[in-house]
Amino acid sequence: MIYDLIIIGAGPAGAAASVYAGRKKIKTLLLTESFGGQSIVSDNIENWIGIKKISGFELAKILEDHVRAHEEVEIKMPEKAVSVKEVSSGWEVSTYNGGIYQSKTLIVTSGGRRRRLNVPGEDKFDGKGVSYCSTCDAPLFKDKEVAVIGGGNAGLEAVIDLIHYASKIYIINHGSELSGDQSTQEEIRKSPKVVVINNAETQEILGDRFVTAIKYLDKQSNQVKELSVGGIFVEIGSIPNSEFMKGLIEMNKAGEIIVDHRTLATSKPGIFAAGDVTDEIYKQNNISVGDAIAATLSAYNYLLNIKKQSPAYENKNSN
Amino acid sequence: MANKVVIYTTPECVYCKMTKEFFKENNVVYEEKDVSVDDKARDEMVEKSGQLGVPVTDINGKIIVGFDKEKLSEILGIKN
Repeated sequence: MIYDLIIIGAGPAGAAASVYAGRKKIKTLLLTESFGGQSIVSDNIENWIGIKKISGFELAKILEDHVRAHEEVEIKMPEKAVSVKEVSSGWEVSTYNGGIYQSKTLIVTSGGRRRRLNVPGEDKFDGKGVSYCSTCDAPLFKDKEVAVIGGGNAGLEAVIDLIHYASKIYIINHGSELSGDQSTQEEIRKSPKVVVINNAETQEILGDRFVTAIKYLDKQSNQVKELSVGGIFVEIGSIPNSEFMKGLIEMNKAGEIIVDHRTLATSKPGIFAAGDVTDEIYKQNNISVGDAIAATLSAYNYLLNIKKQSPAYENKNSN
Repeated sequence: MANKVVIYTTPECVYCKMTKEFFKENNVVYEEKDVSVDDKARDEMVEKSGQLGVPVTDINGKIIVGFDKEKLSEILGIKN
């Protein structure tokens, strides 16, 4: 069977595309590992329009419920696209579990994932002092000295999670000043526990059974310095989940899929993309939803055009 | 013999919630220890698992780190 549309990923973008595709009665297949996207680990989302406060977990559930209300959308989960190639009918997606699915159009909403430091010791001490989830793990660092890598909003929020527990928090910041929101900066600067280290590049994570220290380069003095810490929270942004599309469509240097921001079309006809996997500047849940809806409407128009061009359609209309 | 299942959690950890939900769906009886308030449980978890991260699940002495649905299913004999 050839689907009209395959949607890859079910964060806010993929869920929005699925709901709109369902309402347009487009024969759709949704391939996803899970629902909810990167916000699922957030304990508090306060900017999802229409809801004052919701956890990432609850948001994932309401998105899944909304998608499942549409019978036209077939769901394969947990499933993951590993490659896509061009075929005569459109596109062919191969999956992690060995599935092969064809469709006339594709919407790529595979989102992003946490960027890792890529320094020695990071993998070895993952879960042994290195954490990527401050809301989860902060309570385990009671009365310990810790480092937060990253001075953006996510880094500052990790600091806030840790303030109740850790005895001292170093912020290892790449830039010359913190880049997170002013209001959050003011909040953390009130705490005597917080020490900001600017112009610093993490070089190595040290330890025995657990993390014991971090080494960083002080870019101003060009000296390597070491801090004794029991925990390291990595908050240095995200990278796009676009590897499976490499070589097929145009991407920028960061690996983000380049889209026409009016239509969400990619460099290949019939393939659209939306959300954090694209070169959209603002990585926001609400924007991902809006862009995915535009992508779905573009895919719908594209499908109508193929139908009009097909010989069967012309025969039917000339009689 | 009934399985003895202990899960170590913190209140805001989404993978802890997913694990508990998975247990509920499959009628698995479990004991929950909140390591954000129970220091003894925290030390016990770190000692058993060598992990500074939640969730950690102990099933009859077998340690599972994170929400690993496949591994949990396998040990508990749950068919998907």
